Amino acid sequence: MSAKRRVAITGLGMVTPLGHSAPATWEALVAGRSGAAPIRGFDASGFPVRIGAEVKDFEPTRHLNDRRLLKFCLPPHAFALAAAQEALADAGIRPTAATSARWGCAVGAGMLGIPFEELRDTHRNCFASGEFNPDGLLNEDFPTDPVAFCRSQSNAGLGLITRYFGIRGYATAVHTACASGGQALGTALRVLRRGLVDYVLAGGFDSMLNPIGLSGFCLLGALSTDNDTPQRASRPFDATRNGFLLGEGAGFLVLEDWEQARARGARIYAEFAGVGDSLSSYRITDSPPNGDGPIQAMQQAMADGGVTPETLDYVNAHGTSTQMNDRSECAALKVVLGPETARVAVSSTKSCMGHLISAAGAVEAAVCALAIRDGIAPVNANLETPDPECNVNIVRGQSRRMRIRAALSNSLGFGGSNSCLVFRHPDEPPAATPERRTSCS
Amino acid sequence: MNTTTRIVFTGMGAVCAAGLTVDELWTRVVSGQSAIGPLRRWDASRWPVQVAAELTGVDNRTLVEDRKLHKSISRTDMLGIYAAGAAIKHSGLTAYRDAMKPEAVVHFNDRTGVFAGSGGGTYNSNYDFLPLLTEAKGELPAFGRELGNVVNPMWLLKNLPNNVLCHVGIRHGFKGVNACVTNQCVSGSQALAEAAWALREGEADRAVAVGHDTPIDAETILRYHRVGLLAPDTIRPFDAKRAGTVLGEGAAAVTIETLQEAQARGAQILGEYLGFGCVTEGSGILEIRPDGDGVARAIELALADARLQPADVGMIVAHGNGTQSSDASEALGIRRVFGTHPPPVTAFKWAFGHCIAASGMLDLVMALRALSERVVPAVATIETLDPACRPLPVFAHAQAPRSGIALVICRGFAGMNAALLVGEVPCVLD
Repeated sequence: MSAKRRVAITGLGMVTPLGHSAPATWEALVAGRSGAAPIRGFDASGFPVRIGAEVKDFEPTRHLNDRRLLKFCLPPHAFALAAAQEALADAGIRPTAATSARWGCAVGAGMLGIPFEELRDTHRNCFASGEFNPDGLLNEDFPTDPVAFCRSQSNAGLGLITRYFGIRGYATAVHTACASGGQALGTALRVLRRGLVDYVLAGGFDSMLNPIGLSGFCLLGALSTDNDTPQRASRPFDATRNGFLLGEGAGFLVLEDWEQARARGARIYAEFAGVGDSLSSYRITDSPPNGDGPIQAMQQAMADGGVTPETLDYVNAHGTSTQMNDRSECAALKVVLGPETARVAVSSTKSCMGHLISAAGAVEAAVCALAIRDGIAPVNANLETPDPECNVNIVRGQSRRMRIRAALSNSLGFGGSNSCLVFRHPDEPPAATPERRTSCS
Repeated sequence: MNTTTRIVFTGMGAVCAAGLTVDELWTRVVSGQSAIGPLRRWDASRWPVQVAAELTGVDNRTLVEDRKLHKSISRTDMLGIYAAGAAIKHSGLTAYRDAMKPEAVVHFNDRTGVFAGSGGGTYNSNYDFLPLLTEAKGELPAFGRELGNVVNPMWLLKNLPNNVLCHVGIRHGFKGVNACVTNQCVSGSQALAEAAWALREGEADRAVAVGHDTPIDAETILRYHRVGLLAPDTIRPFDAKRAGTVLGEGAAAVTIETLQEAQARGAQILGEYLGFGCVTEGSGILEIRPDGDGVARAIELALADARLQPADVGMIVAHGNGTQSSDASEALGIRRVFGTHPPPVTAFKWAFGHCIAASGMLDLVMALRALSERVVPAVATIETLDPACRPLPVFAHAQAPRSGIALVICRGFAGMNAALLVGEVPCVLD
C-alpha cells in the first residue's frame, strides 16, 4: 500500500448555540460560556425538560441572500448553508465551473424532521375519529406543497448544499445518530484519500429542538432535567451529571489535498490525519461499561493518523453528560492511553454548547482544528465533583494553554456506532504511518 | 491504496413484493410477472394513486423471529434485518466463525464491517404522536405534560435511521468499520461501495452491505404523486407511454469478502465486485439534468475504477424508474459512454416497484443472478421504445449478455448518480 494522501483543513464554519460563526463559537468555548437557556423557540412549559442550547437570533437572510433557496430549508438546512458558506469563505476557495467535478460533499444529516405545525395539519385532517384516516390527506386544506416534500427528504440538505455551491463530485449523506458528524468527516477523509476528488465540503447539521425532537429524548429520559439551572445542566464527567443538554446547529470544514493547499498558499489549521470506526454491538440503548467498541475506534484512528498515546495531547471527548456514556468513554480512554492517561488533556465541549446530535462530530472536529491552531485545550465546564470512575486528565476550571501536537475527537452514537478522528498540528512532520492490518493471516 | 484486492460476493438475501428470497424474485422476474398491484395497506378507492408493490401476507415473525424486538424497530428495519440475516446465512460466515477459537472470533468480529443504506424515515413514524395531540387538544403545554403517558418511551429508538446497522451488528456480533448512508435512492449502492472500499483499503476482511426502505406510506405516496413522479398503473421504463414510477418496499443484502479470504474458507463465490463511480449533478433536490451528465460521469468513473472499457460491459441494469425525465436523461448518459451500440439493457423496477433506498441493492442481486444464468431478462412492460431513448436495446424478450460483466445504474434525489460494475464467477477464476 502506498503512502496515504495527506489532507489539510483549510476552512471552518459554525452555527452553534454559542454564536453564528466559528470565531464566535470558539471564543465562547475558550471562555467556558454556556449556550444553555430556557427554550424560547416554542412553548416547552409542559415538557419535563424546558431547557436547551438553541441557536439564538439566527436570521438566515443575513447569511444567505437567496429567499427562494431558504424556502426549501428547515432550520438545520439553513444552519448548514450558513456554516458551509463561512467555511468556504474562510478557506478562500470555492467550486468553479472548471473544478466542480473535483469537489465532493459529505454530510451528517439529522432524522426526518416534521415541523409540529405540519403534524397538527395531519391531525386535524386525519385523526378526528381517533384512528388515522388516510383519506383526510386528500382534503383540500391538507397542504401538499412540493417544497414540504423536498425538504423532508433524507438528502435534502445535501441537495441544497451541492446546488448552492456548485459541487458535482462524490456526494453522500450519512446518519449514525450522535456519531453522524464524525462519520461524515471520516467518509470525507476517505473520499479524498481515494483520489475521487481534490476538495470536500464536509460537515453535519441538526436541530431536534422542536416539540417532536424534544419529545423523543424526553421519552428516553436521556436529557438533564435541571430546568432551574440550565447553564449547569451539562456537566460531563461530574459525579452529579444527570443527562445531556439538547443543542442544535451546524459545522462545516473545507478539506483539501495537502500539497495543493500548500501550493496555493492556503492557511492550514491542521492535518486531518486519521479515522477509526467501530460498532459496539452491545445493546441498542446502552454503552458498553468496559469501553469495548469505542476502544477499537480510537485505536484505529490513532494508528491511521500515525499518533501514539505519547504524541497525543488533547482529546475532545464525546462526553454527553449521561452517566453511562461518560463512564464507558473514560473506561475506553484509560485502555487506549494507558500510562499516558494522566497527561493527555480531555474535555467535552458539550459542557458549553450542549449536544448538537448529527452536527456534534463535525462541530467538534472544527473545534479540534482551532484548539491545535491556538494551542488551547478548551475547558470542560461545570466539573465540580469529579467522578472517581472518570479519572482522566479533564481540563477543569479554565481552558489550558498548551501546544497540541495531535488531537483526537470522539463521536459515540446511540446504537453503538463509534467514529473517532485524529488531527495533527500542521508543523508536525508527516508520520510514517504504518500500513493497516490487512488480514488475519 | 491497494486497488488490486479482489472482492467477491459470497452471500445474498432479498425481500420485496416479488418474494422472500433471491430465487423467488428471480423466478418472478424471468416469468414476466410484476408484483405491482392494487394498494391494499389502506382503502385507496378515493385515491389518485391506487397501485404499489407491497409486501403482503407475510407475518412479522417470519421476517424477525424475536417478537420482543418488534416493539423497538420499524417496518423498514424488519426488512433490512431480514435481508442481511439471509445474506449472512447464505454466506456461511457465522457457521465458519462458530468453529473458531475464542481469540480468533474476537479478531473475526473486529474485522467484519457492516454497511447500511437506509431510507431515513417515513412520515407515518410521527403518527405515534397523533393520539397525544388529541389528548392535548393541539396545545403544546398539555402535549408536553401528557407525553410520557401516551407515547411509547422507545419512540426515538424505534425510528432511528441507523437501526439496521446497529441490530445487524448486535445480532451477528460484527464490530468492524461501518456506515449508515441516508442518501435517498443511492443509499444502498453507496453502502456497498463503502464496504468494498473498506476491504480494498484494509479496514476490514469482509462486510455485509444492506439497503432497505418502506416508502409505502399514505403521505409519502401522496407527496410523490403531487410532484408528478407516480404512474397510475405500472412502470414502463424507456417506453414512449411511460407515465411515472410506482413505489415498492423491500430490502436486499450481500456479503463481500476478499477473494483470498473467501477461497481460504472455501466459500461459494457468487460474483466479483469490479468498480464503482458516483457523482452528484449539483442540480438540487428533485431536478435532474436533461443531458444525462451525472449518469455518464458515474459510468466513466466506475469503468476507470474497474480498469475496464465500455466494450467490456456485457449488460446494463438501468435505473429505469419510468419517469419522463429520468429515463430520457439516463438513455442519453448511456449513449454518451457506449455510443450507438450499447450492450443489452434491462431494468427491474417494473417487477417489484421502486424501493428507493433499497433499489440499488435489489438491482445488484438481480444483476448477479442474471450473470450467473447468462440471461438479460425481458422488461415485460415495454411496448414501444421512446425515440428519445434510442438506441437503448430494451426489449420485451430476454437477451443474451455480451460478456460476464454487468453495469448497474442507480439514480436519486440530490442529483445523485451511481454506477456499479460486477462480474460473474468465471471472471474470478480467470
